[in-house]
Amino acid sequence: MPTFVYMTSCDGCGECVDICPSDIMHIDPHHRRAYNIEPHFCWECYSCVKACPQNAIDVRGYSEFAPLGHSVRVLREEEKFTISWKIKFRDGREKNFVSPIRTTPWGSIKSASDYEAPSQEALNSQELAHEPDGLNIDELPALSRDQLKLGVV
Amino acid sequence: MLTSNPFAELAVFLPPIAMQVYIILMIVAVVIGTVWDMLHKSSGQYFTQRQEKAKAAATTELSGADKASLAIRTIAVDVATAGEFCNVQRRISHVLMFYGFIFYLVMTIVMVFSYPTNATPTPAMIPLLWNIGVIMLLIGGYWFFLFLRVNVAKDGQAVFRLVPADLFIVTLLGSASFAFIWEIVQTTGNLAATKIVFGLYILFTTLLFGSVRWSKLAHMFFKPVVAFQRRVEEASGASSLPAPAPSSERS
Amino acid sequence: MGLFKSRKTVFVDSDVLVIGGGMAGCGATYESRYWGRDLKVVCVEKANIERSGAVAQGLYAINCYMGMQWGENQPEDHVRYARNDLMGLVREDLGYDMARHVDASVHLFEEWGLPMMTDPKTGRYQREGKWQIMIHGESYKPIVAEAARKAATEVYNRIMVTHLLMDKTKANRVAGAVGFNVRSGDFYVFRAKAVIVAAGGASNIYKPRSVGEGMGRTWYAPWSSASAYALPILVGAKMMQMENRIVLTRFKDGYGPVGAYFLHLKTYTENAYGNEYETTWYDSTKEIVGDYVDRHPVPTCLRNHAFLEEMKAGRGPIRMVTKEAFKDPHLETVGWENFLGMTIGQAVVWASQNIDPKHTNPELTTSEPYVMGSHATCSGAWSSGPEDYAPDEYQWGYNRMMTVDGLFGAGDTIGGTAHKFSSGSFAEGRIAAKAAVKYVNDLGKEVPQVSEDEYKNLEKVVFQPMENYAVGRNEIVAGTVSPSYLLPLHGLQRLEKIMDEYVGGISSHYTTNEPLLTRGLELLEMLKEDLDHLGAEDFHQLQRAWELQHRVLASESVTHHTMYRKETRWPGYYYRGDHPKLDDTDWHCFTLSRRNRESGEWEMEKAPVYHIVD
Repeated sequence: MPTFVYMTSCDGCGECVDICPSDIMHIDPHHRRAYNIEPHFCWECYSCVKACPQNAIDVRGYSEFAPLGHSVRVLREEEKFTISWKIKFRDGREKNFVSPIRTTPWGSIKSASDYEAPSQEALNSQELAHEPDGLNIDELPALSRDQLKLGVV
Repeated sequence: MLTSNPFAELAVFLPPIAMQVYIILMIVAVVIGTVWDMLHKSSGQYFTQRQEKAKAAATTELSGADKASLAIRTIAVDVATAGEFCNVQRRISHVLMFYGFIFYLVMTIVMVFSYPTNATPTPAMIPLLWNIGVIMLLIGGYWFFLFLRVNVAKDGQAVFRLVPADLFIVTLLGSASFAFIWEIVQTTGNLAATKIVFGLYILFTTLLFGSVRWSKLAHMFFKPVVAFQRRVEEASGASSLPAPAPSSERS
Repeated sequence: MGLFKSRKTVFVDSDVLVIGGGMAGCGATYESRYWGRDLKVVCVEKANIERSGAVAQGLYAINCYMGMQWGENQPEDHVRYARNDLMGLVREDLGYDMARHVDASVHLFEEWGLPMMTDPKTGRYQREGKWQIMIHGESYKPIVAEAARKAATEVYNRIMVTHLLMDKTKANRVAGAVGFNVRSGDFYVFRAKAVIVAAGGASNIYKPRSVGEGMGRTWYAPWSSASAYALPILVGAKMMQMENRIVLTRFKDGYGPVGAYFLHLKTYTENAYGNEYETTWYDSTKEIVGDYVDRHPVPTCLRNHAFLEEMKAGRGPIRMVTKEAFKDPHLETVGWENFLGMTIGQAVVWASQNIDPKHTNPELTTSEPYVMGSHATCSGAWSSGPEDYAPDEYQWGYNRMMTVDGLFGAGDTIGGTAHKFSSGSFAEGRIAAKAAVKYVNDLGKEVPQVSEDEYKNLEKVVFQPMENYAVGRNEIVAGTVSPSYLLPLHGLQRLEKIMDEYVGGISSHYTTNEPLLTRGLELLEMLKEDLDHLGAEDFHQLQRAWELQHRVLASESVTHHTMYRKETRWPGYYYRGDHPKLDDTDWHCFTLSRRNRESGEWEMEKAPVYHIVD
């Protein structure tokens, strides 16, 4: 489902250019607005659609197998921690969905360096950061060498 | 300099009627260019179709008063404060250019038609506003051109590599820059230099208004129309976008 | 932004360099900071880590979670599951290691803000299946990227790494990498003490079922350009199981995920006439793989095999029966949100074709082959295992270090660790990072040095396609056809056709043999030579050119491995027409390869498989 950009809504801010994982959203030299330069490398991941502050990007299903007349549009509202979808079938049926996207404030993740520095003993062990507590069990499991054997099982 | 009418000084080598005819020709050029652009692109048809589709998809009927209020919002927010720009820097630069351009244009017309020579002394306010307009235009415009154009800022393009979309900004900056330079040079009294710089000013101004068919200038007219259409679509339920979520969905 | 565009060389020094900012890369960045408080940790990504990698659009399930805290599963259970699914051939030491750590990463995700679904009866994470838990994961990647950004000294977005650099003072040791800025075109030289490759596996190496716009609707992200393999292969690292490509049974055209449908909605498949078909093929499957057909759950490849045979027998299309399950409104919501949170394109396909699973049973298909290391497949680099229990053959020092000193891997990059998925890849990134930090500490003052000759030469190589285009362009009027250069897309489509026709793609129902593979190598050889004549018009095309280079090298490796393994180990993934049966006598082993750095020759060998004694 490659993306396309609405001429009348795009104000050429470049957010889509910044975010596209495929590097296919670029600026058209005639209108100085965004467009999809390689639909055949578009995964329809909707990253650009979600990132566009003007909701100026939409998706038209891949021409080889998606008949016209459908619409799958999204509103990602970071400040509400939600994502809302409106699906319109070719025959006009509609479905709407809303989901949460995050349970903590944006930017609130505790930095790895804010934890107490690990000891040399911890560095020498097999435990990763915050383990074994982070596993919610008492001890990191391990195998013993003799449990691994050659042969067919 | 800032409070004296530079067009009045032109009488030395240019009869005032020439400038007046020129301005009328430029207005005609803009009208022709816009209409030609619309006809060539069938954009009138497109916008009409778009409006009809929105009407068909509308779930709520909007009253005349509703539409009037949306129109006012469009003018007050989208047009007057460049509300369609999400990026603050671009919004500010656009506002500078927009109002700067308006002052520059309007005061040019006032000076050329109402105070064409020194025989009719110009109130200081008028050239002052003209200069303020030019300066605003130059600040907003060069800021935009050098730093804010998205193909340069985000898409890795070199600043001085020009693309077709630059036609408008380059001719606009050319017109305003040479207007300002002409004004300055004219005060030195060097007639030859004044004529050259004035010629460049006229050249860029002609390119600016003559290239409407190919440049982004016409967007000045289309954008407010579309901004209004979009507000109507949103208000009447015709938008294909999902409705905003209720405030609390956090699990 | 330069006034006059002239290329700069930017040097970036670091202690730990993480190449790739996906799940594994973000895990590696986070963990490197935890253990290396004063170290310089750099993450470099060809796109933007906010949405890069396979998890760009989100995920609806975390497919690897033990649930040790609730006694749901133990790590060895997962190893047996993965071993079973891969017909006996996984690195059980690495798999156990990943499985014993993965729960902690999942708990971290929850702490960071990933919305987990909970089972209303038990209060635990809502299970989709034995290993899978359900999440509202639209922002899974942005959340994880936030943690990585906070941990990194610097994150470099839009820099494509094209080659690793080797130490000029000590043989077989990595010293950094080179790449270019996709926006400005600047050349980047990364000098690092330890390098963790956490790049993407290989999509788009086989001709896909859709070849127009639909080429983009690959099952695995189209930006997974096999850098995970090409970077280590080029410096002579040993690779394993590159023949172990995966074929997916998914919804038609959109390749939408079926996991939640089968496991949570309890749907099932039927042929065009409404009949069950898997039992039809039991006997003939047993002919090929023997007792493996009786394993539970049925290995992924064998389910594909039955699907394929049924299609070949002319009883397609095969559909998933959803009409019953979708009557339940909760399950209907799950069915749709499953796509919206993970593969939006499938929702688009159904909307476009008026498919409502409540009223229509949607069609399934088997995909073109992919080569990667984190799903029901485990191609990748041969790496050292956990110090506490890995057998001697699997251990030569630091955990997840490849056969090149200082070169670590995680995620798709590392072979043998199937069924990791997103959480396991993240966990593996953390494992590799801790080991890399230990390695850096142990280096002391004796640090690797890059060779100026090497990176200056690579600079020419990296930008050659742009010169080819600029010069060659003078010859023709316009258009894409030039006698002297190939556009990256041309090369990609040729690669895909070669792999499809000679190395078991869809057009041969995934079947190949030695004569075909030999011919395939010949054609690949000519393609490789043509790669010297790639033409790139701009930096975006240059990125495509290097993605192609990485894909071709990985494909070469795949072809050598496929030729080497003389058996059909994974029917349903691919078949050797000349060795049509599974052969545990000679081939219950891993295939390893090493491409000689200087000569370009491939050396193949077998490695033993150790199993956890039941």
